[in-house]
Order: sequence, then structure tokens, then C-alpha cells
Amino acid sequence: MRGPHETSTGEILLSVENVSLSFGGLRAINDVSFDIRKGEIRAIIGPNGAGKTSMLNVINGFYHPQQGTITFRGHKRSKMRPYEAAQSGIARTFQNVALFKGMTSLDNIMTGRTNKMRCGFFWQLFRHGPALKEEVEHRRRVEEIIDFLQIQAIRKTPVGRLPYGLQKRVELARALAMEPDLLLLDEPMAGMNLEEKEDMSRFIIDVNNHYGTTIALIEHDMGVVMDLSDRVVVLEYGRKIADGTPDEVKSDQKVIDAYLGVPH
Amino acid sequence: MDLLYKVFVDPFIQMGAAPDLLVQTIWEGLVAGVLYALIALGFVLIFKASGVFNFAQGIMVVFGALTLVGFHEIGVPAFVALALAVAVMFGLAVGVERLMLRPLVNQPDIILFMATFGLTYFLIGLGELVFGGNPKVMIANELYLPKGSLEFKMLGGFVSLQKIDIAAAVIASIMVATLGIFFQKTRIGRALRAVADSHKAALSVGISLEQIWVIVWFAAGIVALATGIMWGAKSEVSFALRFIALKALPVLILGGFTSIPGAIVGGLVIGIGEKIGEFYWGPLFGSGIESWLAYVIALGFLLFRPQGLFGERIIERI
Amino acid sequence: MGTEQTAAASSLQNREEGVVAINAIAQADTFPKLLIHNAQTIAGRPAVRHKDLGIWQAWNWAQVLDEMRAFSIGLGELGLKRGDKFAVIGGNKPRLYWAMCAGQALGAIPVPIYADSVAEEMAYVLEHAEVTIAVVADQEQVDKILSIEDRLSVLSLIIYDEPRGLRDYDHSQLKSFRDVQEIGRHALADPKCLARWEQAISEGTGGDLAVILYTSGTTGRPKGVMLSHDNVMISARNGNLFDHLDQNEEIIAYLPIAWVGDHIFSYAQSFVAGFCVSCPETGETVVEDRREIGATYAFAPPRVYESLLTLTMVRMEDAGAFKRRMFHWFIDFARAWGEKILNKEPVPLAARLVYRLGDILVYGPLKNRYGFSRTRVAYTAGEAIGPEIFRYFRAIGVNLKQLYGQTEASVYITAQPDGEIYADTVGRPSPEVEIKISESGEVLFRSPGVFRGYYKDPEKTAEAMTPDGFVRTGDAGLFDPKTGHLKIIDRAKDVGRLNDGTLFAPKYLENKLKFYPNIKEAVAVGDHRDFVCVMLNIDLTAVGSWAERHNVVYGSYQELANHPLVYDMLEKHVDEVNRSLVAEGLMAGAQIKRFLVLHKELDADDGELTRTMKVRRSFIAERYAPLIRALYDGAQSSEISTEVTFEDGRKGTIAARVQIRDMKVQGTQAVDLGRAA
Repeated sequence: MRGPHETSTGEILLSVENVSLSFGGLRAINDVSFDIRKGEIRAIIGPNGAGKTSMLNVINGFYHPQQGTITFRGHKRSKMRPYEAAQSGIARTFQNVALFKGMTSLDNIMTGRTNKMRCGFFWQLFRHGPALKEEVEHRRRVEEIIDFLQIQAIRKTPVGRLPYGLQKRVELARALAMEPDLLLLDEPMAGMNLEEKEDMSRFIIDVNNHYGTTIALIEHDMGVVMDLSDRVVVLEYGRKIADGTPDEVKSDQKVIDAYLGVPH
Repeated sequence: MDLLYKVFVDPFIQMGAAPDLLVQTIWEGLVAGVLYALIALGFVLIFKASGVFNFAQGIMVVFGALTLVGFHEIGVPAFVALALAVAVMFGLAVGVERLMLRPLVNQPDIILFMATFGLTYFLIGLGELVFGGNPKVMIANELYLPKGSLEFKMLGGFVSLQKIDIAAAVIASIMVATLGIFFQKTRIGRALRAVADSHKAALSVGISLEQIWVIVWFAAGIVALATGIMWGAKSEVSFALRFIALKALPVLILGGFTSIPGAIVGGLVIGIGEKIGEFYWGPLFGSGIESWLAYVIALGFLLFRPQGLFGERIIERI
Repeated sequence: MGTEQTAAASSLQNREEGVVAINAIAQADTFPKLLIHNAQTIAGRPAVRHKDLGIWQAWNWAQVLDEMRAFSIGLGELGLKRGDKFAVIGGNKPRLYWAMCAGQALGAIPVPIYADSVAEEMAYVLEHAEVTIAVVADQEQVDKILSIEDRLSVLSLIIYDEPRGLRDYDHSQLKSFRDVQEIGRHALADPKCLARWEQAISEGTGGDLAVILYTSGTTGRPKGVMLSHDNVMISARNGNLFDHLDQNEEIIAYLPIAWVGDHIFSYAQSFVAGFCVSCPETGETVVEDRREIGATYAFAPPRVYESLLTLTMVRMEDAGAFKRRMFHWFIDFARAWGEKILNKEPVPLAARLVYRLGDILVYGPLKNRYGFSRTRVAYTAGEAIGPEIFRYFRAIGVNLKQLYGQTEASVYITAQPDGEIYADTVGRPSPEVEIKISESGEVLFRSPGVFRGYYKDPEKTAEAMTPDGFVRTGDAGLFDPKTGHLKIIDRAKDVGRLNDGTLFAPKYLENKLKFYPNIKEAVAVGDHRDFVCVMLNIDLTAVGSWAERHNVVYGSYQELANHPLVYDMLEKHVDEVNRSLVAEGLMAGAQIKRFLVLHKELDADDGELTRTMKVRRSFIAERYAPLIRALYDGAQSSEISTEVTFEDGRKGTIAARVQIRDMKVQGTQAVDLGRAA
């Protein structure tokens, strides 16, 4: 589906260094390091409970690791609030879709523009002058994304009423509306049928091509991962066991063992 | 038979016989209702955005009004005092967020509810310490709130409207409309609704919960201040005023905890129902029915529509 | 709508005399001439709208001319010339419609192709029509054509409208619509260029080919129907006159551009009347978009109306009890009075007032939801519409009418005039259309819209036309003696004869029977027989609930189907059908003499129905031969055993004794009266 990516030797956008995270006595992530390069599609895979979602939560500030650091665009940090992560250019979607169910698709996507809007409260209240201009400009950007993801027909539908596949698409749209430098996708194809999966794969590649967005994704479907990604990092029981191109990872004995469940 | 007659027939005959009195009663109910609605609105704002049932809303009304009067007493001009009172409410919102909400984040709702109890007693204590425990008179004149009444000749009698009541209704309407626009049309309003819907998702798009909490508590504080001024102008500013917050409970049951239109409609229904009940059926029960009738109405509602008139349908997750 | 366009427009100001000259020398008998005419007479009126990024973009007639001219001259520069064929492939997009006119201006012939054709089908048409340039909507269509490129020796260029995803493609044979317009605008700098272009337009005449529309017949390869400017334009004009359509109409273009209906409604009629055509945002937003523009003229195949109604019914099931009751009460009321009010018949004041109330509470909101609030004329055509659906829309005040047409006729053969609406007819002959019914019952027509023949297929053309210029429709029909309207009864090839020569139209009978909710399927037998018999399938839901209400106890489908009370009920239905046949006249001899109820449901899994739920007649005749034998040998019942496939794929056998019921045949006096009248 996709040739070797020219940016796979590009500059490093985010690097995770020696990160460990535990909940009480339970170690979710154990001394993991890897990096994400600008413009690539990076997959994080691993069996259930390998710490993939925890890793994503660390990157976007939901969890604060006990050890290790995250360096994003050259800024090193170990503790960051989620909204700060969002403001610095990290957007994400969730495994089980976290949308604002009572709001329309359009309003949901507009929330993605929250941090891009700068107009004063007073102007906003009266939808006048600069605030109106700003709203119109943001609406235009959002409409481009709606067009891009082909969700025009559900623009005014409360998302709670949409089928799951479309909700996932709205969630992606909201993340895109943030114009992120790094887009984190937590199992973007979970619970989808084959056709929806194909659509979603196409959208992910298009986003990467068209907007040049760097993408890190977690996915269960190995076929999808191998087709989509430039590089893959494999976690098992919170440790990194392999890191490389899909082909390298596929032939790695440790990965094969992990997926076939060889007893340790 | 006689009782049935007194309950089901007689009051209606009275209503028909003196329609001017009926109009007067409805008007008084309306005015009370507007104020109930304002208090309920304060609850709804906070409940929507943070899921906290704010027991302290009642004392915030008193505290707001006391601050205003207090500043004036030490010689600050009325409108400067008003601005300062608003500033104090803002400080309160920031304080609540920093000292109460932030440390208690991710705690069960009941803990937060208990925390608002604590806040209530803290504010009572602080209020008594600073302003003393005696009732005070609202500085209605200084704020150019109108006095006196308008009399209309209609339906074969007189209906008299207190100007302060009219002012209260107008100000309340403006506040409600402003809040409505704010919620529906602005970026912050959209963020508020987002937070009310899903914390996790709101965080991921870069909405700061802390900021939103400050905003809603501040908004609730302003609503409380306005309520305090209006109610204070009608009677006086005392700590007993905080108990009108209890009237907000049936309003919320009626309107739903998460609905702004619900708070308004609920407030009006309770206000009018209460006054009409008191006036026409009150004598049957030897008066005083005003204090509990609202709860009976709300209870009746609870049986048929537990989510309230406008509330979101409750789906119990298992 | 960039600045370069206004620049081009202003540089054209001083050449307006040339345009005027064109109008002076010829009537606007081709579409390019008509566009120039509109751009002069109603320049500022909206011509096309398109919803893009959530906003309606609009072009007036002058702007459309400007866009079209730039593209047309660009096409000319790229080698398109008189007589060339070029394909137009994609959804309903303004630029694709302009492309048609742009090519026509050069004397080239557009060949619109269905956007959802697979590459294989597309290859056939592109090859057969010798298409040299393809104007397509987007990447999807480009990919399709590139995949069959090696078979298309004469195709030299693909022009696309939507650039998304095409950036990295090899552009040696690929250009964007804007690129081509740029070439055109550049060429326009030479003053002679415009004159040459206008000369080319003025050389065109009404008799020239305007378009080739490929129709996919039920069998064989698609045929290219050639229509001239006269064909299309006169038909469009007559259609406009018939429904009083003028430049104030609003329509939404959403049906395939390769279909003759869209070519007439969204292209020709708009050009002729000067009304604005709106292109929806996507295929899924049509209803919403139609509501937004307030369409006054609408067209849809029956399935669209059906899905709108189904959606409403589903929504109502979920609605609160009060709302649901109100809906049903008012809809029932509308069914009783709505049609009469729509047909302007005398109606008591009280009913009128209640209907008005219903309009506020129910009908109005419904029409608004469907986008029919402002619709004066709505057509259904293509196939038979269920009478329930048809009456529902009329009852709530949508002026839904039936139309019968064909590509070979430039659409119009018959249409229902306002006030003369019947669920089971397709109306009177359209203006300037002559109709006759052949010996075999086939409908023939002759009109100014009659096509110029099938492209590169004189044999088929000869088959379709009679020596005196009539076209065979392939449909069997008859004129209803009461209304004077045409009724289409079946495909002509399916119509048979009884032994005494009476016309026997199985599908016509079957449809009449299937209009009863209790009857799910019906198979009529009679060709080369003495009389007509039918085999019925009951509808388990409908008959089951009937059984519940009438305390009929049953254990299985088979038992219910064989129940004497069920037979009694069905006998009534069959009897009513017989009576209606008598009333209609021509088919009175084809009354149903005997019927039976099949012991099992006809099933696609057993090969008895096609996957689109059409009856497979010959297969059924074979499979149920013992039953058919019994129907004609006078037996009162018959044993039958059939192999069936269960849902899990297992096979089994169902055996049963099926009862046969004799029917009383209705007298045919009424027929004679009908004929005498």
C-alpha cells in the first residue's frame, strides 16, 4: 500500500527516554525509549496489557511517568498537563471514542480549534467584529476537514446518534482541527468492519500525505499496521522488545514469540 | 363531600370571581419564581461543568450581598462596591478551584458534595467574622433600583406591581439570555459544554479544566450576587437568606439538574404554584403551605419524570 | 471565482458585438447558443449553485458563460474538434455540466457515463464511443480510467475537477479543469480566437447531435442513444410548458448525469427556462440540501419516495405516544381529504380547516423534512410506485405525479396533468407525442424527441423503429377507458395470450394482487392456456396479525397458508382483482379462474426469486409443475414436495397437500359498455 517513506531518516519530533510508569505496585511501562521522526507513521504494537495505551497517555500528559523524560520538539519535560500537551501540538483519539455526545459533529470538531481562537470574551459574546471574523475563519478550516473526511452529511447530527464508525471519523476530524504536529491514534480501527477499516486506513495515509502530520498509532490488526506504518515499536509487559521497519519487526524472533505466546 | 368541594371547586370559583386577585397572585408567583430560577441556575452551572452539587450556592447569595453592603458601609461608592463585590466573587471562584476542586480532582462526587458543606460553614463563619451577624439593609437606592409600585386597573379591580419586582424580572431575564448566548455561541461556552460532556475528551483538545471551573464558579458567583441584591432589596440581607437555596431543590428536581431552560421553567412553575397554592388552598391547611408545597410538586414530578422536565435521560451504566 | 476571471470578462467587453451577431443570425437552436442567449437576457440571474465547504456557491448566467467559454476554448486548443466524442464522468458537479456545453460549442458530442460504473463497463463505452477526452470528477474516476488505459487507443487526455490526491500523478495525459480554463483564457488574448469560437457555435444547428446517452438494457451491451439538440431542446421546452416551469424554479441535480432524466431536468430544462440548478454537497446530503434551496420542481425514482416514507415511519415508532398518535390521526385524515384538496375538488369547510391545522402540525413539518415545502411539481418515474406511497405524498400535499418516458424519447412519452392524478396510470401523452398500441399490446410513440438511432448500431435502430417513425417501447400498455390515461402493464416480451387470444399480462395481475398487504408474492400462469390461474404467497406478518385478531390458531407457516379462513380472505382479494379487470375492459378475459396458496415462501435461496426479489417464472413453472397441472385438470387439491435450503445452508424437503380454490368469473357486460363508450 505504501512505499518506504523518505522521511524515515528525518529529524526527531518526539523522543521517549527511559520512561517507567507504575500504578501502585503494578509496572505498566518499564524503562522504554524510542523516538518518533517528523512526517512518519509510527506504530506501537504489542499483546494486550503491553502498556501501549499507557504509553500514549504518558505522551499526551494524562499520566506522569515516575522516571524518564519526554522530549517534544526539543523541549524536555517529565510532567505536563494534558491541555498543555494539546496546546504544544499533540492531538489524540481514544480507543473507545471520547466525543462530546450531546453536541453536533460540527461543534465537536470546532472544539478542536479551542486553542487556536484568541479573541476576547467580550467580542465573542456578541459575535461581532473580530470574533465573527475569527469564527468564520475557523469554521472554514473545519469545513475543509469535514470535506476531507467526507462527513458533510452528519455535520449537524448530534454525535451520540451516529454509528460507531462515523464517531471514530468525527473524533479524527476533531483531532485534525487542532492542526497537530503529532497525532496519536489509539486503535483507530477497533470495532470496525472491513470496509470501515479500509476507509480509515486511507484517511490516515491521506492525513499523513496531505497535511504532513506525524502519526503515532496503536493498532491490534497486524495487517493494517504493517501496511500503514514506516516504523514499528513492539512492547510486551511494559518493555520494548523490538523497534524497526515493519519487515524487520516481522522477522524478529522475540516478536514472533510474543505474538505466538511462547512461555517465558 | 364538603372537603372535596373546598379542594376542587371553591378555589376555582374564587379565581373566577376575582380575576384581578388571580393576576396579582400569579405576578407575585412569577417574581418569586424568577429568583428561584436564578438560584437554580447557579446550581446548574456548577453541576453541568463539574458534576458537583454545590450546597454552598445559598450562602454565596448571602455572602455576595453582604460583601456589597459591607464595602458600601466603609464608605465605598455603591457602584465601586458592586465592582469590588464582583471581584470578591472572582477571588472566591479562584480560591475554590485552587483549594478545593484541584486537590479533590478524581474523588467521588459525594466527597465533593461534602466539601461544599465545608465551604458553606467556612463562608458563614467568615461572613459573621467580617460583617457581623446582624441583618443589613440592601443599598437599593444607591444602586438606582426603583422603588414604589405601579397600579393597573384591570378585570374589575387593581393589580399592583412593585417596581423592584419588575426590575428583578428584567435583570434576571437579561442574565439568563446572556448566559444562554454565552453557552451556545462562544468558544468558552462550547468549551463549557465540552467539559460537561466528557472531561477526558475536553482535556485532549486542550481545554483546561481548571480554567473552566474558575469560570463556572465565577458565573455562579455573579448569579448569586444578583440574586442577593434582588432578594435583599425586597426584604433584608441576613444569613437566613441562605435557606431560600432550599427552594432551588424542588426547582432542580422539576427542571433537571443539567438544563438551563429547565431551571427557568422549573423556577417559574414552583414560584407560581406556591403562591397560588398558598392563596387559594392555604386556608384549608391553616396556612404556611408555601414552605412545603414546592416539595410536594417536585415529589409528584420525581415519580413520573425522574430526569426532570428538560434533563437528559438518565441511563444507569452497569 | 478568482480575479483572473473578472479580468478575462472585462477584456471581453469590447467583443460583445460578436455575441450579438450570433443571436442575430440564428435562433438559439443549440445549447451553447442558448447559454449565450441567457447570458445576455438574464445575465444576473443565478444559473448554478454548488454547496462546497458547507456554503452555497453561486454562478449567474454571465459567469457560467465565462467559465464555459474558457473551458471550451481550452478544449479546442487541446485538440477537441467537431464530431469528436468526449466522456463526462462523475457526480452532479457544475463543472461537469459546463463541460458538456463547452464541448457542444465546438461541435463535439458529450458522452456522460455513470459514475458508479466499474472500470470494465466504462471501458466498453469509452471504446465504443471512440472517446478522445474524458472530463471526470475526481481521483476515483481517474484511477478507473488509468486502469483500462491500454485498451483505449484514441483517448488522449483526462481532465479532472477535484485535484485532491492527484498531485503526484503523471500529468502528461492529465490536466485539471482549471489548467484547461487557463489555456483557454490565455488563448483568448488573441482577438481572433473568440471570433473563431463564436463561428464554431454559429455553425452548429438544431439537427446536430447533442449527446449520446448509453442505456444499459436488461440484456446485452449498453446501447448509445443519439439525441440531437432539437430532440433534447423541444422535449425540454414542451416539458416546461406542460408544468408551467419558468426561471423562478429551484431544483436539485442529484440523479446520475448519464441518465436521460438528469440531462433533461438539470441541463436542458434549466437552459431553456433559465432556472437555477443546485448541485448538492454530497450524495448523502441531498434531502438536506433540497430543503435549504427550497426546490420547487423535483424528480425521483420510486425508491427515493419509499425510503423517505420508511424513514418517517421508523422515526414515528421511536417518537412519544402523543406525537405518534397525532401523526397517525392527521395522516389518516389526510388520506381521506388531502388528495381532494390538492386536486381542488369541492371539500367541506370543516375538513379544509382541520387539514389546515394538520398542515401546521404534521404535513408542513414533514414536507419541510423531505425538502418538499416549496415543491409545486414532483415526478416519480422509472418503475411502478406503490399506490400507498404515492397517495401518502399526495395526501400531505406534495403534488407528486407520474411520468412515463425513455431515453429514446428524450424522456417524455406520457405525464399526468395537474388535477388528473391516479396511482395506477402514467398519464396522458405529453405535448406533441403520438401514441399507439400495437396488435401485441406494445406501446409505440412518435414525437419530436424521437432519437436519431443507436450509435454504430443500425440493426438495433431498425428493430426499435417502425417504418412510419414510431418507436417501440418494449412495454405493453393500454389506455384506461375511464380516464384516457395510459397504463403500463408489463414488459411486452412477458405479455402472452390465452388460447382464445385474450391478452395475458402476468406482472400486471401479480402487481394488482401484491398491492394487498396480505399477499406477499403472486405467480400468474396463463400463456397458451385456456384460462388464468395464480399461485399466492401470504405475507406472514400481515396474515399472522389478521389471524390473531380473528382467533385463527396455527402452528406453522404451512398451516396458516392452508387455512380455509385464509383462503376465504384471499378469495375476496382475488375477486376484487377480477372485478377491477372487468372494470378496466381490455383484460376482462384474463380473469383469475383458480388460485392456490403455496405451502412455502418463494425464496431467493431456493432460486425461485432473483436476488432483487423478482419472480423467476420458468424456474417456478418447472418446480411446481404438479401444482400447475392440478390447477388445469380440475383437481381440488394436490400433493407437492419441494426441496428447500434452510437459513443455515442445510437442505430439506417440505411436503404438503395444497388446496385449490375456484373463482366465480365476473360478467363482461361492463366491458362492452366500456367499449361502446
